[in-house]
Amino acid sequence: MTLVQVKNVTKQYANGEETITPLNEVNLEVHQGDFLSLMGASGSGKSTLLNMIAGIDEVTSGEILVEGTDITKLSRGKLADWRASHVGYIFQTHNLIPVLTAYENVEMPLLLLKMSAAERRKRVEIALEAVNLTDRATHYPRQMSGGQEQRVGIARAIVASPTLVVADEPTGNLDDETTEQILELLQRVNNELGMTLLMVTHDIEASEIAKRQIRLERGKLTERQAGSAKSTVTAA
Amino acid sequence: MFQFLPYLLKGFWGHRARAMLTVSGTAVALFVFCFVSAVQDGLLRLTQDKQAQRTLVVFQENRFCPTSSRLPQDYTKHIAELPSVTEVIPIKVVTNNCRASLDAIVFQGMPAEKLRSSRELNLTAGNWSAFEGADDGALVGQAVANRRNLSVGQKFTINEVTVLVTGIFQSSTTAEENLIYTHLDFLQRARGQNSVGTVTQMEVHLLDDADVDSVAAAIDTHYRGGPVATTTRTKGMFQADTLADLAELIGFIHYLGYACVGLVLALVATTTVMSVQDRIKEHGVLQTIGLRPNRIFRLIVSESTLLSTAGGLLGIGAGLVFLSFTGLAVAAEGVTISFRPSMDLAITGAIVSVVVGVLAGIIPGIQAARTKIVTALRQAG
Ligand SMILES: Nc1ncnc2c1ncn2[C@@H]1O[C@H](COP(=O)(O)OP(=O)(O)O)[C@@H](O)[C@H]1O
Ligand SMILES: [Mg+2]
Repeated sequence: MTLVQVKNVTKQYANGEETITPLNEVNLEVHQGDFLSLMGASGSGKSTLLNMIAGIDEVTSGEILVEGTDITKLSRGKLADWRASHVGYIFQTHNLIPVLTAYENVEMPLLLLKMSAAERRKRVEIALEAVNLTDRATHYPRQMSGGQEQRVGIARAIVASPTLVVADEPTGNLDDETTEQILELLQRVNNELGMTLLMVTHDIEASEIAKRQIRLERGKLTERQAGSAKSTVTAA
Repeated sequence: MFQFLPYLLKGFWGHRARAMLTVSGTAVALFVFCFVSAVQDGLLRLTQDKQAQRTLVVFQENRFCPTSSRLPQDYTKHIAELPSVTEVIPIKVVTNNCRASLDAIVFQGMPAEKLRSSRELNLTAGNWSAFEGADDGALVGQAVANRRNLSVGQKFTINEVTVLVTGIFQSSTTAEENLIYTHLDFLQRARGQNSVGTVTQMEVHLLDDADVDSVAAAIDTHYRGGPVATTTRTKGMFQADTLADLAELIGFIHYLGYACVGLVLALVATTTVMSVQDRIKEHGVLQTIGLRPNRIFRLIVSESTLLSTAGGLLGIGAGLVFLSFTGLAVAAEGVTISFRPSMDLAITGAIVSVVVGVLAGIIPGIQAARTKIVTALRQAG
């Protein structure tokens, strides 16, 4: 099933006299249960594409359909509601709320959805268990290691069972060993919880764990076919 | 909205030094605001009181301080016979300080039965018969009693006048609570007074439909030729005239009240702007999670409102407690303005702090809500 359809999306920035075009008529399809990695040089526009799919950045032109809804046409308020129920975002620097405990951070997205306190509690507990941090529920971000913080960030991203989980260089700030743990966790999120994942990374090894590998170069996407040479991703 | 309350409160706790400074600054400003308003209220009550506009005070012409006004006591007889006059009360006033003072003691001596019929005094200690039974008995207003720490049975001396406290009273007319009532003849005979047969002023009560001005004119015309000429005004006018200098000053200090409001606005707005600037990225994260921009706006306005309301309530509470325990009053020439706490004052103060809190949050709130998410997320911190 097609979950996300990026259609002829262009992003331009006016930078004084010149115009930067990090994304030029880009097309991409993401299917239910996919795990995509997005690679590319620094400044190539990976984050920009990810952010537009996550509904936090605007396209210059083109459409992004998620489950049939063109999210580029939603108002800011509607788009926020849409994110609350459809997107889980994993940041490079976890971005936890420092004054809240791990539990409260994970609970945050659920406060925006209609559900009973008991249901909320159950979901937060399941999410914390999934990232193996049940014993850290009452800890504050400053009391945790970078890897633990990132796991809380992952729990927060998956707690509302979003349609799509996006991660922007989720291991960019971690050491090798912790990176391994996080990647393993992301793989489990995809395999065991069946969530669709889109991950930006500049680390080839990290990209290998994904089912599909996409490259962004000079404003265009190419997908590496399993075991074969590169080929341009074409629109459906 | 309430589900984010823990987040707000923990945010304050996370920056408790800043929150506490803002709250205490607001509290101080509202304390002053409360005080200024109480002073103004006191003046207004004195001059605009209904009763005060229908009661006349006869004073010696061109005299201001009670010590210098000496009217023959037998004026009461003639005045009582004028049409529309229901009662004439001769009053001897003794004060320890004719100039403006925060701790002036004002004695008013009048016949006990007139005191009883013309003033609504609610005795909180002591009793009437003790007062009536003692030549040097005195009924002391609550405010004076608080200020000077007086209790029933105690002797109290000011300016060679020594009285026995036989009762302490409350009154619905707050300025009354700054007076000490004694027997008229006692005060006339008191050491250093030597004024048997003369009084300081007469209070003239009128029928409800009386023409107040023409009665006043009739009294003054009658005594123009002597032996002592009079000036008769409504009690409200009399008090306003007597306190004219003070009133001008008080009229001026209401700017102080506005200044306090401005101060709180600036203070809370500054704190809110700082707090928003500290958390640009955090607000970006909250929006990414799915908080609508207008929810971010409301969170920020709630934050500033909570701070200023907390400070405001503290300041008002402290102000009201202070005013009610000190029984503070300013007196000049025997007339006192009392600063009393009131429900109105508390409500005004509370409204002011809530409104100021909301106003202080609007601009930072709009700023935070308008910031693009990707821009916010790129911020350091
Ligand atoms: N707000 C902006 N204004 C101008 N240029 C921008 C802005 N945001 C991003 N860019 C530019 O767009 C390009 C893509 O940025 P980004 O998506 O962050 O790259 P990546 O994530 O691949 O490193 C970069 O050249 C960057 O400088
Ligand atoms: Mg990037």
